[in-house]
Amino acid sequence: MKRFLKWALGAVLVLAVVAAGALSYMAGSPKDALYMVRYAFPHMHRGALKVGDDAPDAQLLALDGQTRFHIRERTAGRPLVLVFGSFT
Amino acid sequence: MQIYNDYKDHADFLTVYVREAHPTDEWQMKSNVKDDVCYAQPKTLEQRMAIANDFTKRFKYPLPFGVDDMANAADLAYSAWPERLYIIDENGHIAYRGGMGPFNYKPAEARAWLAGRYGEVKHPEKTESAPKKS
Repeated sequence: MKRFLKWALGAVLVLAVVAAGALSYMAGSPKDALYMVRYAFPHMHRGALKVGDDAPDAQLLALDGQTRFHIRERTAGRPLVLVFGSFT
Repeated sequence: MQIYNDYKDHADFLTVYVREAHPTDEWQMKSNVKDDVCYAQPKTLEQRMAIANDFTKRFKYPLPFGVDDMANAADLAYSAWPERLYIIDENGHIAYRGGMGPFNYKPAEARAWLAGRYGEVKHPEKTESAPKKS
């Protein structure tokens, strides 16, 4: 039993090191990997939308800071290319 | 944005500004410091609007633009953060669903969808003749 626990602990440690290494490689450095886990992963979602689904609606604010409009107001007549992003 | 210029006569475009990806108080990137794109994560809609306006003015960004609310309604509805592309057809259905950015953010896929429907827009390759050796 003790031997099994040692092996299991070793395997978990190896997996943790490999995962940390892979994340560091992806993010650019160990520090970036930590920030990725802390700040990016909680907000990243694959989502359940599929091709063919009804497009969800949401209200947006125009750059004038006054005008509000809905995404679905823009979907009549022609296809709508939605580009989500931020400055940084 | 080349895809916008190529297909704006056939399709509508809308950029949706969502919460910042690499603000100074979270996971800041060195490249953003180098490019002087340094903003804290907005805590109010006014702060979000200010950054969105900075962005559009700095790049003379031509696409129609909307800002997500502080409840992140558009982001959550489309699982959009940090960046993502969709195409909605004229019947209101998802016609193209891009992958999660940045690794699977692929404008070429959206372009291919538009090209499949409206035809490919080709750009002649810019060729520069090498200076002649004397």
